[in-house]
Amino acid sequence: MSLSYIVESIISGILLGGIYALLSVGFGLTWGTMKVLNISHAVFAVLGAFVAYWFFVKAGVDPILSLPLMVVLLFLVGGVVYRLVIRPVTKAKDIIMASMVATFGVAIVVENLMSFFWRPDPRILKPSYTGSSIFIGEMAISKGPLIGFAMAILAIALLYWFLHHTYTGKGVQATWQNPMGAALAGVNPEHVSLITFGLSIASAGTAGVAMALIYAFYPSVQTVWTMFVFLVTIVGGVGSVIGTALAGLLIGFIIGVSAAFLPFVWVNVLLFAFLLVILLFKPEGLFGS
Amino acid sequence: MQEMMQERGPNRPWGKYIYLPIIMIILFAFPLVNPPLFFLTLFFSVFMYVGLTESWNLLGGYTGYVSLGHIAFFSMGAYTTAVFMNRFGISPFATAILGGVFAALLAALVGYPVLRLKGAYFTISSLLLAVVMQLIFMNWEFVGSSTGLWYKLLPVSIEANRIIFYEVMLVVALVITLLVRWVEKSKFGAGLIAIREDEDVAKMMGINTPLLKMRAFILGAFFAGVVGGVYGYYMSYVHPEVTFNINTSLLILLMSFFGGCRTWTGPLLGAVVLSLANQLIVTFIGAEISRILYGLLLVIVIIFMPNGVIQYIKGAFVSEKG
Amino acid sequence: MLEGVRVSKRFGGLKALTDFDFLVEKGQIVGLIGPNGSGKTTLFNVITGFYPSDSGKVLFKGKEITRCKPYEVSKLGISRTFQIVRPLLGLSVIDNITTAVLYGRDNIGSMAKGRGRALDLLKFVRLDVKKDVPAQSLVAAERKRLELARALAAKPEFLLLDETFSGLNDTEIADAIKLIFKIRDELNITIFLIEHVMKAVMGTCEKIFVMQYGVKLAEGKPEEVSKNPAVIEAYLGKKKHA
Repeated sequence: MSLSYIVESIISGILLGGIYALLSVGFGLTWGTMKVLNISHAVFAVLGAFVAYWFFVKAGVDPILSLPLMVVLLFLVGGVVYRLVIRPVTKAKDIIMASMVATFGVAIVVENLMSFFWRPDPRILKPSYTGSSIFIGEMAISKGPLIGFAMAILAIALLYWFLHHTYTGKGVQATWQNPMGAALAGVNPEHVSLITFGLSIASAGTAGVAMALIYAFYPSVQTVWTMFVFLVTIVGGVGSVIGTALAGLLIGFIIGVSAAFLPFVWVNVLLFAFLLVILLFKPEGLFGS
Repeated sequence: MQEMMQERGPNRPWGKYIYLPIIMIILFAFPLVNPPLFFLTLFFSVFMYVGLTESWNLLGGYTGYVSLGHIAFFSMGAYTTAVFMNRFGISPFATAILGGVFAALLAALVGYPVLRLKGAYFTISSLLLAVVMQLIFMNWEFVGSSTGLWYKLLPVSIEANRIIFYEVMLVVALVITLLVRWVEKSKFGAGLIAIREDEDVAKMMGINTPLLKMRAFILGAFFAGVVGGVYGYYMSYVHPEVTFNINTSLLILLMSFFGGCRTWTGPLLGAVVLSLANQLIVTFIGAEISRILYGLLLVIVIIFMPNGVIQYIKGAFVSEKG
Repeated sequence: MLEGVRVSKRFGGLKALTDFDFLVEKGQIVGLIGPNGSGKTTLFNVITGFYPSDSGKVLFKGKEITRCKPYEVSKLGISRTFQIVRPLLGLSVIDNITTAVLYGRDNIGSMAKGRGRALDLLKFVRLDVKKDVPAQSLVAAERKRLELARALAAKPEFLLLDETFSGLNDTEIADAIKLIFKIRDELNITIFLIEHVMKAVMGTCEKIFVMQYGVKLAEGKPEEVSKNPAVIEAYLGKKKHA
């Protein structure tokens, strides 16, 4: 097994890790600001992938170009889900449990809606540029993952910028750090929650599009993606965008290294075992607050 | 709460309990009237869900530790009987109990570390367990990986086949329900309920909370395994995507919450009502529509009727009178 | 009977308890007082095994219990009440006590026998008329009596009471003092209590420990301690010199 093969695998892993990071940032955001455990987060990633897919297949619009529209659509969907499900659930005695069970229901509903209307067959996004690879020495890195990674990093950066440099974003950030203090300082928690949730879903959709450039997707893959969200969030802690991003890259690195030596499915089992170990010894995460 | 006070009171009206043996006799004798096979299939499904929800409720309802991975034990049982028939030729009716044992062993293995986690982390871990098991079974040669395993069919007519499974699952469901009810009213049950109410206080009262949780978890797993063992044989096929279906976890949760998970009657009610409805919808409309409706129902139940539909209705009446 | 040797506990950078020594002899009623946040409840939490101590030992009847878990401590004969009472709200009054009785030191298996003993305990704290009422509907003073009954249900030899007298009016305080003595005299239980209500402390304790910032400030008979300048300063602040 040559060195370049291993490095190639590691790079692929890290590129995937970046996408997992984006997928998980939104989840951590809702958990951190609202104490809501949104188990349906990943299903909206699949939805985002489908939106991009339909634009591409029916209207010939490149996924990168349809991205802004997808973001708006998913933000709106997030708003609707927030009003109908999330907001009522935040009034429950045990928000974490109630939100978990309720969003479990949402996940099943959305997954089966997609399955019903669009059939459960696997799809993939294959614009022309994903077919080729770039070459570094002996290593080939396909463009699909590179573009997906670029998308993810850009989205994470945008999110970070929003949280730290815009008025609304700072309100969200403040609520994340200290809900009581933020409310006292005049931040409207209702407003913050809505925006946070909408952004969270929109970011999930973006991650879904990025994933779709690399792997096939289908409605029920949301369960597996959900596992990765848990993995990254728990390893990275629920404290920050940076923490989640680092955790994603770390996970990606681990995937890359193990994929070079193990059959791919056992890589997944390894990761989930890693997650279980972290849960048992450090539920707050490796980088957590 | 109120139901519990009535059950524990010394002056139980025995008249109420005459219904139970009568209903049981009717259920057991039902196949004798030669009903259409559809009904036997329908009731089989109901009995199965009763067994699953009651066994889930031992931990989920009484201690408040909500597991999303109960199907892992169900599947463990199914796969046990499948493997024993497929590789060793032993009839599942003999190995169903063994299915329960293997499920219990699995619970014992993962239970100790996982039950130390609080609330949400426990639930996530339980979901993880189910997903990981599915992945493992998907890729494990010995259990048929992605092809699955078949059972040899019983050498009887289809009618007899359905009747046999109907009766077997009825017995299983009855035994499980009675045992769960017995636990609820015992010292063991009192300890579990204390854990749900306030785990720290329970510890202070002298309750060995890790031990009790493990017992509930293992017992629930055992029951689910037995149900699974019979179910697998009934379907004559096990497959990771069919047997390890996350949607079944959703249904178990929904049925228990809908009926009210604080006592043994809740999951029973939820299982009967909702699995009847589920079978009907799946048969006449479609599986996906059924799941969509069930997902919606779960959201509605959690938001509007967290104590179950009975409490919700009672509450509605009280506020109308008052 | 209960002894602590150099018990220390820190939470991150905060030193909650530092080298705290104490001794409560069998049959005594001893008080633990100190300004808010001085670490008194932390001490109780360490004794009962809810927090592990960082260093030091806790001994009960000569045997070390420092590393024991809460349910083990309960089985050894130490019961406690919580500062903010925590009844099992979803259950009735009698069910609360029945569960405590069943898991108490007598290890009763029968529900009926447990319920019988529970009723006796409720009579002892004068809550028996409300036995079938949901615990949720009890008022504060009643909840305290319930908490007390629950601690007694385990048949302890030693009782840790955390601010039992807070929020009670004068009559209730007088009744509670009588109850404390009844517990000590009729049930042979040694009592260690945390209190802010000075009337209760003076009325019940034969010895007092004073704690501030996790450190022992003074120890002795109530009259001595109340005259101790360091104690007065801790409660009232530095005296201004004329």
